[in-house]
Amino acid sequence: MKKILPTTNAVIAVVSGVLVLLGYFFSGVFESIQSVLLGWAIILAAFALLLGIFNLALVHWKKLNAKGPNSIYSLVLLVSLGITIVVAGLSGPTGGAALWIFNTFQVPVEVSLLAILAVVLVYSVARLISRKPRWYTVLFLVTVLVVLLGTVPLFFFGELPLLTSVRGWIAQVPAVAGARGLLLGVALGTVATGLRILLGVDRPYGG
Amino acid sequence: MEQVLSFINDYLPLAFILVCLGLTLFFIFYDRNQPRISLREIPAFRHFRREVDLAVEAGKRLHISLGRGSIFDLQGGAAFIGLTILDRCARAASNSDRPPVTTSGDGMLTVLSQDTLQSTYSSLAVEERYDPTNAHLTGLTPMAYAAGAMPTIHDEHINANFFAGHIGTEIALLTEASERSQSLSVAGTDSIHAQAVLYATADEPLLGEELYAAGAYLGSSLAHFASLRMQDILRWVLIAVILLGSVIKLLGIMP
Repeated sequence: MKKILPTTNAVIAVVSGVLVLLGYFFSGVFESIQSVLLGWAIILAAFALLLGIFNLALVHWKKLNAKGPNSIYSLVLLVSLGITIVVAGLSGPTGGAALWIFNTFQVPVEVSLLAILAVVLVYSVARLISRKPRWYTVLFLVTVLVVLLGTVPLFFFGELPLLTSVRGWIAQVPAVAGARGLLLGVALGTVATGLRILLGVDRPYGG
Repeated sequence: MEQVLSFINDYLPLAFILVCLGLTLFFIFYDRNQPRISLREIPAFRHFRREVDLAVEAGKRLHISLGRGSIFDLQGGAAFIGLTILDRCARAASNSDRPPVTTSGDGMLTVLSQDTLQSTYSSLAVEERYDPTNAHLTGLTPMAYAAGAMPTIHDEHINANFFAGHIGTEIALLTEASERSQSLSVAGTDSIHAQAVLYATADEPLLGEELYAAGAYLGSSLAHFASLRMQDILRWVLIAVILLGSVIKLLGIMP
């Protein structure tokens, strides 16, 4: 049984993958099968989300019972999760109370993290020169500086046409070329990963 | 003429996939009896392998962050690489007191990471080491995911973090947490913006296709080497096509 189950999993995954792929190119039967399989996958994804939330609660329940120094945060999470589930269950996900929770807690916390992100990035750029003292680090920092100065008007000087045009050239020529190169690499890597899964070499489904 | 162009437009992607498949299969069978190809040095993988060994010796953990990409779209590709890395780490650290911990920002990825851990331990006949809470969902939005993963990096005695999946610029918060807890951060993502951020913030950034080579570098099967060779060939073909297109446009042959 231990040997049969992984093979069955692999066969189901490979056949489903091939059918979904063919559905993109051939209409008719393959398109219908693709539609059915994707519908099943969406239902499974919803259940997976429920399992994920249950898992999150379990992780923090264990942390709370371990009585570590940060277990108070786990208690806050569990209480918040419980309240949100009850409120959203009673008023609906777009109900007034659920939206109030979202706008009062979720949005400000996420915006605060975005603000921290800006500070973290500035600090990291300042630290970069000591961590990687190489010529291309200097080039990276000079480019960042030129793009920043070319984007916003400067105190007393206003907008400097030379910096603005250099910034425009950097953004339109080397940056676009580099980004396209990286994207081509990512695309080829994604195709290779997909093919390995279709061939049954990579089995991220317990196969 | 229009019909021919429409046919090419419809079936060119399928032809491309078939060419990729053909090349991969060719190299799998061709390389079977050949000496294994030598890969170019990528310091990130060398450092990570060393940290895996050190983590086992020091009784510390490895953290694999799978990001929040859904497996229903392109973003899932990077997350699947994260699952391959998780499998390698779980095998390497199977005799450690502290098994690897995984964080993800998508329910399906959480289930897949639990499944990967379970099947890896099962194949090593150490099923008792599997604990579903070692793979957990931390948050569903970008910032919620980062906020949920940061305490894992701080509190779980992490020796090295491997960020492999679809993660946006919020990855800077995770690499910063890694820096503060003095653990190594190796990071690769499919987001171009996040790759720029990684260059400045991660100890070992993986740019472009480097992330997708993780399977081959961390000791996987022949198929991983074959797909690397397929990618190399197609990269040169794409470069040739781009250069040819530029020359054709310069000469004014095509508008």
